[in-house]
Amino acid sequence: MTVTTSVDEGAAGELLVILRHGPHSGIALKEGLDAALVAAAFGRRVSLLFMGSGVAALMPGQGKGPLDQKGTLPTLDMLEMYDIDRCYADSASLEALDMSADALVIDVTAVDSGGVAQLMACHSLVMTF
Amino acid sequence: MATTQTAEELNLGTGTIGLDPEGYLVDLNDWTPEVAEALAGREGLVLTEEHWEILHVLREFYGRYEQSPAMRPLVKAVGKALGQDKASSIYLMRLFPGSPPKLGARLAGLPKPTNCL
Amino acid sequence: MILHTLNRSPLDSSVYLQALAAMTEADCLLLIEDGVLGCLPAQAGRWPQLTGRLFALREDLASRGLVDACSDSITVIDIQEFVALTEQATKVVSWY
Repeated sequence: MTVTTSVDEGAAGELLVILRHGPHSGIALKEGLDAALVAAAFGRRVSLLFMGSGVAALMPGQGKGPLDQKGTLPTLDMLEMYDIDRCYADSASLEALDMSADALVIDVTAVDSGGVAQLMACHSLVMTF
Repeated sequence: MATTQTAEELNLGTGTIGLDPEGYLVDLNDWTPEVAEALAGREGLVLTEEHWEILHVLREFYGRYEQSPAMRPLVKAVGKALGQDKASSIYLMRLFPGSPPKLGARLAGLPKPTNCL
Repeated sequence: MILHTLNRSPLDSSVYLQALAAMTEADCLLLIEDGVLGCLPAQAGRWPQLTGRLFALREDLASRGLVDACSDSITVIDIQEFVALTEQATKVVSWY
């Protein structure tokens, strides 16, 4: 797994949405993705950072929840249609869940804590979910 | 948002279908091409081949991503499926006046797009 | 300077570790609500190298009877000073 310690200037965007909650665990993940989609639908440059339990949203093979509740996997697949292509994941969180950035449902760049701090710095607005 | 509240009924001759307060289907499984024609008639539209290919793009989008698209991703999906010359909001506005994502979703039997104003 | 706010007790939630990971040496951390439990001297080890940049909200300390117990290394501020701090910050990020 390649871990990026330094985020280049191309990473700069208008909105950074930090997703810290996993799928099928309340509505925080869905709300965060919705916020990202709304901003992107209005032409904002949006980046996503998966952190803590939020990296579980990147696990392959997810399905629906109890009573057929929709999962978040189709929404992650849809991100490219909203031109959200800058996605990052906290490398420590990936390691904590035995995940590798190479085998996830969407392409993400693994970043260490320095990279996380840089992402916060290079976006004018940060929202945590 | 999809709702289970039936505000009015669409009469098809063969039976009636529930519509929510904004004219979207209460039960998405009710959709047939005839339903689309009837809904279009309520909007003063006659569906042509050009409308239909957009409605198919919309239904494919929903089938894959489980959400109705906003304008930007709809334009992108149309471009991928039908070619770049149709991938413009002006083209879609001409076919589906007002709000193409909303009117398109309504006629395609999809829920109201949540992330478009 | 980014102002990070934390409203969860470090005893209940590890979200404070995410906040610390996201901070640079220029950033400040303000403990509010249950986060002020992190002000007790026994919790001081959770906040390495934050001297001068670690704050706690007086109102939340007071309501929990913790004003006198608060660790000396933490700067206690009131709600007015909180507002002033947000004005100095380029943005405010909340961890909850």
